[in-house]
Amino acid sequence: MSSADPAPRAAADAARSIDRLRRRPTLDLSVALCTWNGERWIRPFLESLAAQHHLPDELVVQDDASTDDTVAAIRDLTPTLPFDVRLEVNRQRVGSTANFALALERCRGRFVALADQDDVWYPEKLSRLVHEFERDPILTLVFSDADLIGEDGRSLDRGLWDTRQVGRILRRRPIVAEELAATTALTTGCTVMMRRRVVDAALPFPPELDHPVAPMRHDRWLTLIAAAVGTVEAIPERLLGFRVHGSQETGVLVGAELPKAVATSVGSNLLGGGGRRADGLRARADQLDVAAERAELLGDFGEAATLRRIANDFVRRARIDEPGRGRLRLALGGLPPDGGGVRGLGTALLDVVRAMTPSRPKPAPRHA
Amino acid sequence: MPDRTHVLVVNDSMMVGGAERVAVDIANTLDRNRFRVTFCSTRSGGPLTDVLTEDTDHVSLGRTATWDLRKVVAFSRLVSERQIDLIHSHGRGSMKFVALARLSGLVRTPHLFHDHFGRLHLDRSAPIGLREALRRGVDTYVGVDERLCDWARRTIGLDPTTVHLVRSGVDLTRFDGIVPADIRSIWAIPDDAVVFAMAANFRQQKDHPTLFRAMAALPKRLLNRMHLLAIGSTEADADYFAGCLRMLDDFGLRDHVTTTGARNDVPELLAGADAGVLCAKNETGPLVVLEYMASSLPFVATDTGEVTRAVRGLGIGWTPAPRDAIEVADALADALEMRPDERVAMGVRGQRIAEELFSQTSVTASVEAIYDETMERLHRPVPVGKST
Repeated sequence: MSSADPAPRAAADAARSIDRLRRRPTLDLSVALCTWNGERWIRPFLESLAAQHHLPDELVVQDDASTDDTVAAIRDLTPTLPFDVRLEVNRQRVGSTANFALALERCRGRFVALADQDDVWYPEKLSRLVHEFERDPILTLVFSDADLIGEDGRSLDRGLWDTRQVGRILRRRPIVAEELAATTALTTGCTVMMRRRVVDAALPFPPELDHPVAPMRHDRWLTLIAAAVGTVEAIPERLLGFRVHGSQETGVLVGAELPKAVATSVGSNLLGGGGRRADGLRARADQLDVAAERAELLGDFGEAATLRRIANDFVRRARIDEPGRGRLRLALGGLPPDGGGVRGLGTALLDVVRAMTPSRPKPAPRHA
Repeated sequence: MPDRTHVLVVNDSMMVGGAERVAVDIANTLDRNRFRVTFCSTRSGGPLTDVLTEDTDHVSLGRTATWDLRKVVAFSRLVSERQIDLIHSHGRGSMKFVALARLSGLVRTPHLFHDHFGRLHLDRSAPIGLREALRRGVDTYVGVDERLCDWARRTIGLDPTTVHLVRSGVDLTRFDGIVPADIRSIWAIPDDAVVFAMAANFRQQKDHPTLFRAMAALPKRLLNRMHLLAIGSTEADADYFAGCLRMLDDFGLRDHVTTTGARNDVPELLAGADAGVLCAKNETGPLVVLEYMASSLPFVATDTGEVTRAVRGLGIGWTPAPRDAIEVADALADALEMRPDERVAMGVRGQRIAEELFSQTSVTASVEAIYDETMERLHRPVPVGKST
């Protein structure tokens, strides 16, 4: 491959820009907090942050054009907080994922923790996560479990991981491989802390994340990148209270919300949801391809190849899901040239079954 | 000396590798007044067989699978016929093989497992086969890395009193009297270049790309003074090596890098270099950093194992965060900015630290103490001449 070839040259320039243009961290620990109409919750959150055994050096707040008194409450509390508060207010609403991208760009810490406005952090949260990084320099992103709490702050006696049905996986395999990060949403932003270089590799957030059918939120994107260019570890301890309430943008399904979401999903699939799901699979494939590009740029060739293989599988499944096509024919057509043996046939038939069965319900909205 | 303790050292093969080297070095340096040593390779022999001391028997079983029952029986017979007092296994494959012999009831000999697992960045799980083998087939666990010990205690649930950390060491005598290779003449490297040697096969777990990115991030003035001698097999992972070559082209670094392929004269090549460098995604040792120190080389080594953990801040090298090209570039820049005599002085300090902290003598003494503790705990006769 010649260095005069423009494609590799562009790739090299991109990789170099990640390293050369990168700002060296000037602080130890940043907390990136995104807010939007959270006046009801922001005070207890900030109080819990101020009570941390390991205080952050800065709190970077990005408010997404709140129309309530969230910003005023933050300004009011700022003088009492034992760390720098750097507040910026968007002129117009950009949505939580883009808002987190803005906040992350402003963070100056070696480690960056993500925060939601409505949670309550236990005093040991930051110290526990920082300790994990210091104990093991190979880790690039760590995340914990959380207790679910109600609007009134009382425990719901349930854990976040188990509610999202990822607890068994994470307790069995605490190192999250890129395959798992590519296929499953495992992390919730407020439980995450990462090294600066994950932020550098993940920014700018690609436009592919903002897909109407299959958006990829900031926490999933960051985890995917961290797994592709480093090592992600799940810590089974519950280090915060994760508040469950009606105005969340991401969240968990509890009580009557669960059967309602199942019914919605079944209905949409029975009434021609196949094309929509095919769009979703293609969107996911595009997102994985971008992650693979970033991994490849940084020299993580094996991880990039894995992500591309999964993306190709999503594209193949999308073809099977397309409405009005012979699904079985397509599934069999998707077999490898040698037929793939019994396993290949099994996978193909499984895809057909998948294509005809409803997808899992999406969680009710929760705002960060 | 009839009452010496007979130790059976078990590993997979005698091919050249970090864990195999540790196993051989410990076996060779056990106090022969107190220990007899037999070495058993459960799969195959290899070049390291020739390195064993003359009084060490070597047996190769030719095992082809982890659960090779025929070889388990052969192993049990070996333990019985040779009246082995203690089994010391290296590597998880061998440990499971010995544990199977124990669980089958064919072997009742105390079993000490020496864990060198180097893929902590990929896997910290405890599948049932591994967990049960460790819980029921191992009496004492020795990890070469604190993270491994932590895993054994927390994830496997071993009794903390049976878990020990023993950092890997280096037999410094291997570096005595080495004649430095004239690497500048051999590979036409400019006389004024500062030559960094990286002794590591080209494979995924190593991290040549981060080193290349770091070199590309150096100011031109410093890059022009640097030359990398990449020592190691380029055939172990063809895709990875191809990716590395692409990066070298993309970054325009070809003139600054020489790949030697696999070599048998690594100590001579290290002796001819000005500094050592190691970028790796994860290591538990890494032994090669000890070899840099033994070769009196200052080093830049990503902070991935017990060796770098132990020498942080001792002024004998740089330990940037793994996979962080900027930190590696900063470390390279610091090393390049030094005067030659400063680099030499740093290397000499490193060699002294290697003798103090990582000499084979101290490593073997630790292992012998753990043998004693294990035998005492299990109410077996303790080797003669044990110091109290």
